[in-house]
Amino acid sequence: MSAITAVGLKKTFRGKDGDVDAVRGVNLDVAPGEIFGFLGPNGAGKSTTVRMLTTLMTLSAGQAHVGGVDVAADPHGARRKIGVALQEAGLDPRQTAREILVLQARLFGMSMASAVVRAQELLELVDLVDAADRRVKGFSGGMKRRLDLASALVHRPEVLFLDEPTSGLDPASRITVWDEVRRINELGTTVFLTTQYLEEADQLCNRLAIIDGGLIVREGTPTALKQELRTRKSMKTDPTLDEVFLDATGRTREMGAGEVKEV
Amino acid sequence: MTPKTETTPATTAVEPEHHSSALRDSLLLGGRAIREALRTPDSLLPTMFIPLFFLVVNVGQAARIFPSEATPFLEGQSYGAFQLPASLLLSASFGGAALYLVEEIEGGYFDKLRATPISRMAMILGRLYAEFVKTIAVATVMVLLSVLVFGIHIESGILGFVVLVTMVAIWAMVFSGFMQLISLKTRSAAATQGASMIFFPLLFLTPNFVPRNQLTRPMEIAATINPVTYIMEAARSLILEGFEGETLAKGFAVIGVTMVLMLGLSVRMVNNYD
Repeated sequence: MSAITAVGLKKTFRGKDGDVDAVRGVNLDVAPGEIFGFLGPNGAGKSTTVRMLTTLMTLSAGQAHVGGVDVAADPHGARRKIGVALQEAGLDPRQTAREILVLQARLFGMSMASAVVRAQELLELVDLVDAADRRVKGFSGGMKRRLDLASALVHRPEVLFLDEPTSGLDPASRITVWDEVRRINELGTTVFLTTQYLEEADQLCNRLAIIDGGLIVREGTPTALKQELRTRKSMKTDPTLDEVFLDATGRTREMGAGEVKEV
Repeated sequence: MTPKTETTPATTAVEPEHHSSALRDSLLLGGRAIREALRTPDSLLPTMFIPLFFLVVNVGQAARIFPSEATPFLEGQSYGAFQLPASLLLSASFGGAALYLVEEIEGGYFDKLRATPISRMAMILGRLYAEFVKTIAVATVMVLLSVLVFGIHIESGILGFVVLVTMVAIWAMVFSGFMQLISLKTRSAAATQGASMIFFPLLFLTPNFVPRNQLTRPMEIAATINPVTYIMEAARSLILEGFEGETLAKGFAVIGVTMVLMLGLSVRMVNNYD
């Protein structure tokens, strides 16, 4: 059984100036235990797809299953299978790290005693024991990300959705989050990761898909995608994932005045 | 960072020891909201001191116009007793729950909660439960201060005092519930704050200075249409007259109907939240 499947996933937003098709028929099949990267330029439909897969947004058309559960027909069942850390580290700034984890665990049905034990395990996992009883308001961006990650894991989800988990972090914090993601994945959790950092996708993902204009335009392992471009363009050396991305999204690169511009 | 080891494999899903219910989830989220209120006294204190300020100012300005011995509608009490319900209802009309909710929507925590298998209704009721508890505390202090400062006594006794404070607290839930609807619809702090200004017409198009039958005709019509009038009259009757069945029934009927309307709209809004 696949960890995630999506068939003909569509999302249309109704606006004053007419309908906008944000996602126009996405098909996905992610195997259990994979770290699957979901890449795309701004506004390509990455976050909208994640929000549909995580029950936060209704589907305009198509079907999606997570952990074998239909997200539209049984959203509560799907929520028990998934952990979610979205672009904004969704945390209550007035609570302490421990309080947030205990509450999250209790909302997943744990008793107070079990929730306290689970919170301590997770604080150790993300190295926040020393800050456990401080209010989140004073946390750095990296600490908030790690706490957000921990709160997505309280119920030991089968599938973890990470929407741009390292966006806005300094390089050291980014590497720390990558380590966490690898460790979580080694414990058996499937990870669905959206990112704009191609290096991140190259480092972490077994397989990835590139979405542009609401449609998946490339899908495969990083190596296979690079090999396909090298063959198709008769390149002498392996291209980078950046080049795969730019080729897939129809963008080109111009070097000018010492900086790289997308046009 | 030192690598850590989890004691249980990540994919061994935690079996829920308790089933999700609107009551359990509401109490959990309400507890968090109460803790939040205790940690932000700067947002709680105005709900007490602004209404008390109005009470002192209004009594100071009008008490000599309405001496208790020559004003039948005061039932032998001071003008402060007549004014107290307006101040209590003002303290219940700050809609603090909605401002916290919109902050959570903007900050992403609301989505975090939506991704858990909790009752959707609990996401509304949790904060309203906290609003109820906060208003019970604030209204109790306000009434006790009024008794000590203005010599007010509650004609309906201890039981009437409990009914009075409870009625005000339930109204705080209803008002905040409607403000939460604005938060969910607009997802904007500015819009929510702007909408909370509705309490001005709701509180001032009422018989807050004199009984309804002594208002000018246009004001009397406005007050009769305004549902808050009946809550104010019910609260006032508990302070000045005792248990007046019909007046209390009208007050609680208004609260009941608006509560049902608010909850119905909230269920619809939160279920369709995208």
